[in-house]
Amino acid sequence: MPNSNAPENARLTASMLRDYEEANDFDPRDPMVGLNRHDFSGPRLERRTVLRLLAAGGVLTAAHLMPSALRPARAAEGGTLRAGWAGVGEFRTLDPAQINQVLLFQISSNVFGGLTHIDPLLVAQGDLATDWSANADGTEYVFNLREGVTFQNGDPFTADDVIFTYQRSKDPDKSIHSRVVSNIKDIEKLGDHKIKIVLGAPQASLLVKTLERSSGRAMTIVSRGALEAMGPQQYGLTPVGTGPFRVTEHLLGQAITLERFDNYYDPERPKLDKITIQPIIDPEPLAAAIEAGDIQIIGGNPPAPELIDRFEDNPEISVSTVPGPGFQSLFMNPWRDPFKVTDFNKPMDELMKDPGFMVRLAIAKAIDRDRYIERAQFGRGVPAYGTINEAMGFYFDPSIAEVSNQKYDLEEAKRLLAAAGYPDGEGFPTLKVIHTPATRRDVLVIKNILKTGLGIDIDLDTKDFPVLIDQFDKMDWDLCRLGSGGDFDPDDGLVDWMQTASKFNGRTRDKAVHPFGFFSEAEVDKLIDEERTTADLDQRKALVQKANRLTSDKVACAFIFHPVDNLVYRKEVFFPDESRIPGLVDMDRVQVA
Amino acid sequence: MSGYLVRRFLGAIVVMWAVATLVFFMLRAIPGDPLAAILFDVGDAQAIADLKTKLGLDQPVYVQYVKWFGLVLQGDLGNSIYGSRIEVSRIVMEALPRTLSLAGISFVIAIAIAVPAGLISALRKHSALDHTVTVIAFLGLSMPDFWLGIMLIIVFAANLHWLPAIGYAPLSDGFWPWLSHLILPAIAVGTPFAAIIARMIRSSMLEVLKSDYINVARAKGLLHWRIIFVHAFPNALIPVVTVLGIAVALLMAGAVVVENVFAIKGLGRVLIEGILNRDYPVVQGAILAVSAIFVFANLLVDVLYTVIDPRIHYD
Amino acid sequence: MTDVAERDALQLEERPARRRRWIRYLMADYKAAAALVVLSILLVSAILAPLIAPYDPNDMAFMMMGGPSWEHPLGTDDLGRDLLSRLIYGTRISLFVGISTVAVALVIGVGLGVMAGYFGGFIDTVIMRYVDLQWAFPNFIIAVYLVAVFGTGLLNVIVAVSLAFVDDFARVARSMVLTIKEEQYVAAARTLGASHNRIMWRHILPNTMAPIIVQGTVSISYAILAEAGLSFLGLGVEADTPTWGLILSDARSFISRAWWLGVFPGLFIMITVLSINFLGDAMRDLMDVREFKERH
Repeated sequence: MPNSNAPENARLTASMLRDYEEANDFDPRDPMVGLNRHDFSGPRLERRTVLRLLAAGGVLTAAHLMPSALRPARAAEGGTLRAGWAGVGEFRTLDPAQINQVLLFQISSNVFGGLTHIDPLLVAQGDLATDWSANADGTEYVFNLREGVTFQNGDPFTADDVIFTYQRSKDPDKSIHSRVVSNIKDIEKLGDHKIKIVLGAPQASLLVKTLERSSGRAMTIVSRGALEAMGPQQYGLTPVGTGPFRVTEHLLGQAITLERFDNYYDPERPKLDKITIQPIIDPEPLAAAIEAGDIQIIGGNPPAPELIDRFEDNPEISVSTVPGPGFQSLFMNPWRDPFKVTDFNKPMDELMKDPGFMVRLAIAKAIDRDRYIERAQFGRGVPAYGTINEAMGFYFDPSIAEVSNQKYDLEEAKRLLAAAGYPDGEGFPTLKVIHTPATRRDVLVIKNILKTGLGIDIDLDTKDFPVLIDQFDKMDWDLCRLGSGGDFDPDDGLVDWMQTASKFNGRTRDKAVHPFGFFSEAEVDKLIDEERTTADLDQRKALVQKANRLTSDKVACAFIFHPVDNLVYRKEVFFPDESRIPGLVDMDRVQVA
Repeated sequence: MSGYLVRRFLGAIVVMWAVATLVFFMLRAIPGDPLAAILFDVGDAQAIADLKTKLGLDQPVYVQYVKWFGLVLQGDLGNSIYGSRIEVSRIVMEALPRTLSLAGISFVIAIAIAVPAGLISALRKHSALDHTVTVIAFLGLSMPDFWLGIMLIIVFAANLHWLPAIGYAPLSDGFWPWLSHLILPAIAVGTPFAAIIARMIRSSMLEVLKSDYINVARAKGLLHWRIIFVHAFPNALIPVVTVLGIAVALLMAGAVVVENVFAIKGLGRVLIEGILNRDYPVVQGAILAVSAIFVFANLLVDVLYTVIDPRIHYD
Repeated sequence: MTDVAERDALQLEERPARRRRWIRYLMADYKAAAALVVLSILLVSAILAPLIAPYDPNDMAFMMMGGPSWEHPLGTDDLGRDLLSRLIYGTRISLFVGISTVAVALVIGVGLGVMAGYFGGFIDTVIMRYVDLQWAFPNFIIAVYLVAVFGTGLLNVIVAVSLAFVDDFARVARSMVLTIKEEQYVAAARTLGASHNRIMWRHILPNTMAPIIVQGTVSISYAILAEAGLSFLGLGVEADTPTWGLILSDARSFISRAWWLGVFPGLFIMITVLSINFLGDAMRDLMDVREFKERH
């Protein structure tokens, strides 16, 4: 395993070992033995199935079996949990239709329901849908909705609410997610608690992405009655959903108060009476707050990596670490020298003769990801060679670290750079790398690595996020340090970033000057088009891995690392592993002592 | 007097209008597209263009200005570009009590430190005590306020657990919760201000003590403490009052940084976040609020000046 | 204000004598003397930084967050760089920021102030309306705003902070000019047919310098603090430029685990600003300038 910091060395309990063995209990030559089509239909994938899938992918780690087995539940029901949300000054909106940040849907996930909800292994489970079935070509899904569910204002939840939510999300005036539901052609009401979703084309990510209650956002079920009663602005502050907690108080820039929703559909949940969520911008006050017990759990943006060691050293604080859903990269503008490549559609050996490509590959190969993670991330991260991350378990290809063209090899990188006309970095122009204030440390480390390794210099150009995005979209940059978080499905990386028509791929560029954005490769386009419509998990996995490998080999960008997801909480908090979903902070099963 | 006040009041309004106008046009000169940031993970180029049209940001700047100004005259500061597009007036009104509370407590703390310190060093001029007070005052002036804030958090919140590390509690939560959240940030904001006031009191006190009427009072054989507190100190305060206008500036500027350290969503934080996110209406609203506070505080100081110093007349 | 001007006018004749007393006076005040020594050391180490600094300030070759030791007297930072070397190079840039900021603000502000005071009337109105406008804002907030417009970076920070300070100098200069302009020697120059330019810059300006020098000295310390504050808000110099402010604000999340990262840069800033303030204070006494409105 290339993963330098997944808790492989964690002690495995007997029951965990049993799980592990059972998961690997199949013929290694045919990982799908013992699993049939039945295993993949709703309402949920069995844990056993999932573990097998993971084992088949070779990525089953102790992390997947961890915390609850190690931490006996001893907490009482009820009580108040004080949470702090890192790196944020205010919660601008909790209206799913307007949410554009992970740290916001972490909260909305506790207030709203959706048809499905991902579990710790990023597999879709039924939430407001009890079960579902798909037609043979995967273009029509029929969902049975949960009965007896009510909104927090007392309105009953029915098929009409699903349709209302869909109509609202489709309307670009009311929602920023209209594009997300563009593949849904229609939602038909088959009964008060039965609907049919008709797709324009088969979509593998439907359950994990589009219909997901938190990260999906477009189909997070909103309350028509409450929206009409309070108007969209107030709804953004104190929304009404079907989730385990209701928002009772929220002044902009101050803590949000959530209280237990007594009529939640699952009588076992939530356990807590009340949660306060305090936004905290800076790392030092954040750390002080949890050390002093002012807050008991940290959500929001990932807490600064430098704080994690400090928390781990603190006997009052627990840190739970699992692979994080995302990737971080250094992008190189293929329209600018010295890494100019105007056509990626050549076979590998021909590409290797192109000086622009040689420079791209040299930079990608020169980045010593282990050193980078040690310095910039305090040893917390997984080296990246593609968009597909370890949190996606099943789709992740651990061998890519060994076989990718981007594998660290300084000698080869130097040779490539010399062959491209810059021996020891001589004559290499000083390029600017645009980055946000948050990635300043990272880029300093990259600068240092490229300087000591290849003898080339880069200048830091710090931009506020709106400026960076504006420039990135226009292809107005040399180098750009950017990445993605909250990627729960392979499509989050592949469809959104790696295709010629991807939304992040030079969105507002002048198409006459730049026929494509930062990357365009015909086979990658084709593979992704295929994988996104492939319902068969195994076939899809093969396509995903192939596409991922190509983007790596042809240096769509220099992939650097996948973040890990650190959940930090005080010892009096019991956070069960059913709720330990990477990137989310679901508090419906959480207890405090 | 009243004619003067009316003129000053109108002048203040003109200054605010000019500031708001200047800010409006300069804001449009800041590079960066807030809409691209909003729609980053969800939209395409068309979606960005559509949203631009919807928010009226595709129109020429002067048209936007006329529209905006028309709305401001009706008391409408517009809506935030982000999230649920909450009314700017609401954002400002929610932030205002936090900033005013912070500034108020800072002021109280500063005066509580400055008056005795200034008096002591004036009365014991060139003594060891005077030098000590002077050095401490200058130390207070010389510390970056965010650094002082972080140090206070580490010592008093993280280690001693005496006071909350961060956040704000409204007065409606009770007096102590409100005050306890404000003490540390108020020390960080108030310290440089206390140093300035102490220095002002010292030099102004020295000047007054040298003056003829104090000598006369001394000659008359009045008691030492009576001379100091009844005759000298009130007169020494007069020049100090002039810096109260500056106090507002200092406290506001301090608040911008310190609100960030202590995660208090006051006007300073609203302003900085607005600028970083290019949330034009919010920045405009916050600037308008900040300049209103500042301009009217200065006006108030001028009025106060006439009240405490009968020698000054405005006409 | 008049007595100050009178004294300044009198100083015309006794200037050479005063100049000699100047240093002696400052050295007699032990705080000012100490300040002069500290500032001289800082200035020398700024100039000789490459010779004095033990390591390359950007080299990440060392242990991360290593405490003070013989090899690294002030420890290493979160990226494994030598803190002492960074602070020595930081002296260079921070002093440069402070001095150049004040130089720019002084030239523009005094220019505007002298013109406003000398010409009066329409020119005065236009200039002072602008100055009043700027006066309506805390300098630091103006600097924040200007950096947002210009973008971050060393040059932009210098321009932004100096523009934010212009109004202070303009006000001081104007009020001095107003009192001096009616003096006899100015009237004499005027009757002798000297040009406006000559009168303004040769006769009036030198006599406004005492309070302006005091204001300038104090402003250097504000500029250094302003740079630190801007860096803290993420609106400072380029990420790889070691200034004290940036070093300190970068340290903020490490302070409780690596105290040296918070303490030493903080001390550098504090001692420098303190020295400048002592010096300014002594100069104020020396020149008998009343305390002018000062602010951040």
